[in-house]
Amino acid sequence: MFLAFFNKFRRTRVGNIVILFVAIQIGCITFSLLFPERFRYIDPTNIQVLLRAIPQIAIITMGVNMLMIAGEFDLSVGSNFTFSAFIMAILFNRGIPPSLSMLAALLVGCFIGFLNGLIVVKTKIPSFIATLGSMMFWRGMIYLVSGHKPASFKPGGLFQSLLTSSVGPLQAQFFWLLLVAVLCYLLLEHHRLGNHFFATGGNRQAALAVGVDVNKVKLIAFVIAGVTAALSGVVSTTRVSSVSPIQGEGLELQAIAACVIGGTSLLGGEGTVLGAFLGATLLYTIQDILLLLRAPGFYLNMFVGLVILAAVIFNQLIKRG
Amino acid sequence: MLEARGITKRFGAVQALDQVDFSVYPNEIIGLIGDNGAGKSTLIKILSGVIFPDEGEIFYCGEKVEIRSPRDSHRLGIETIYQDAALVDTMSIMRNTFLGREKTGFAGFLKKKEMREKSIEVLEKSIGISGIVSPEQIVGNLSGGQKQSVAIARAVYFKKRILLLDEPTSALSVKETQKVLDYMLQLREEGVSCVFVTHNLYHVYQVADRLVILSHGKKIKDVLKGDTSLEELTCILCEK
Repeated sequence: MFLAFFNKFRRTRVGNIVILFVAIQIGCITFSLLFPERFRYIDPTNIQVLLRAIPQIAIITMGVNMLMIAGEFDLSVGSNFTFSAFIMAILFNRGIPPSLSMLAALLVGCFIGFLNGLIVVKTKIPSFIATLGSMMFWRGMIYLVSGHKPASFKPGGLFQSLLTSSVGPLQAQFFWLLLVAVLCYLLLEHHRLGNHFFATGGNRQAALAVGVDVNKVKLIAFVIAGVTAALSGVVSTTRVSSVSPIQGEGLELQAIAACVIGGTSLLGGEGTVLGAFLGATLLYTIQDILLLLRAPGFYLNMFVGLVILAAVIFNQLIKRG
Repeated sequence: MLEARGITKRFGAVQALDQVDFSVYPNEIIGLIGDNGAGKSTLIKILSGVIFPDEGEIFYCGEKVEIRSPRDSHRLGIETIYQDAALVDTMSIMRNTFLGREKTGFAGFLKKKEMREKSIEVLEKSIGISGIVSPEQIVGNLSGGQKQSVAIARAVYFKKRILLLDEPTSALSVKETQKVLDYMLQLREEGVSCVFVTHNLYHVYQVADRLVILSHGKKIKDVLKGDTSLEELTCILCEK
């Protein structure tokens, strides 16, 4: 009876990533129990690191996931992440209270997303290309406002603890991630707008034919991607107390990879919040494993690449069978 | 019920439609036929609000109306069923049925239970949808005929009075075509008019009450089925 449930679960796209995730976690935990000195997975320090580091990529992944479901890409989220964080740091260092600085950062992220959306919707350039340009533009802006130097951000007090404190092994950043994930889930699965997201990405013509405002839907999706990028920047910067101009590069591709691992279709119209969440977590877990095994740096890239390929092939096989 | 007069549309140098008059009366099935490039799709797109005519007027129940968007078209009770773009393949039947017309409660959140129940109602009422077990089924897994039937059932559920069907049977098997044609006949009994666009004379001849022929953008014939024959229609079409 369990087997029947298991098989039905396996057939859904998200079912596979869950199984893969659970399998890897079980593997890691077992290994860690057997060889506590050589593989410190269950070590509280390691768990803390995991819970603190995963949100950086996972929060962005949530936003990128929504956008991909709506059928578009945003390659500028990495630049957005860093630029918004810089705006926050610069404002704070000029005397603006941290909460307002954070709000400014989120508004900047929202604006960048909106601009991306506007360009894609009005000019009909493929979003891949449009946001490629956007990525480079905002990266340039980062150097402009930062003067090629990192900026510190030490807000202290309530702000700091709300964003980065910990209770035992639980980390505040992780709660922010959960909050974002839950909101995204509610929007995507239980809201009218979520239905429009799936339709716009799945079959734009059909959505138009029944009166869905596909342009508005895409704009909203771009804004969501922008805001999550900025939020991730805010949280990460508060954690390490500074932001550097070279940060954030590569985040956009990692986010897309995480979504794809989690079952989101590159063609749009398909994807789940849980899948993207686990995809991001898995991506970081693999990095963590390799770190713990003290594998040389290049192993990381190879393995991440292989995992992505494996995940996509997996999902293809499920679709066909 | 619906009357379009003098509809004209140019795409650059191509005259897609030239002073076409087109009427739809209640309880009738009209066959809109013509070879490729005759202007059938353009006329349908104008009536569904996707394209705007260069000249011409549209009247609904005697009153002049403007159809500038799919929403306007819907408001008049018109729904278009495209050959392959009526439904979103990656979503479930339930989500497709209520796409754009979702049942929502507080702040736009979906009333999923209600949607599910209504979807079942919609599926049961329509003819020819066999083999569908649940509204959660993904549309992409349905056959062509089933998809068409779901799209039509959706339109009927939302109380559309006029259905514009753009090549509904062209990709279907013989058996599935029969089911869709039977469905159209049933709809006529229930007071829904259908405009059946196709270049397949044999399908349309079975169910149409009236036949309108377009050729190179002009209406060349508007005749009741009883006043013509399959041979005559074939001749007219072959001449062009």
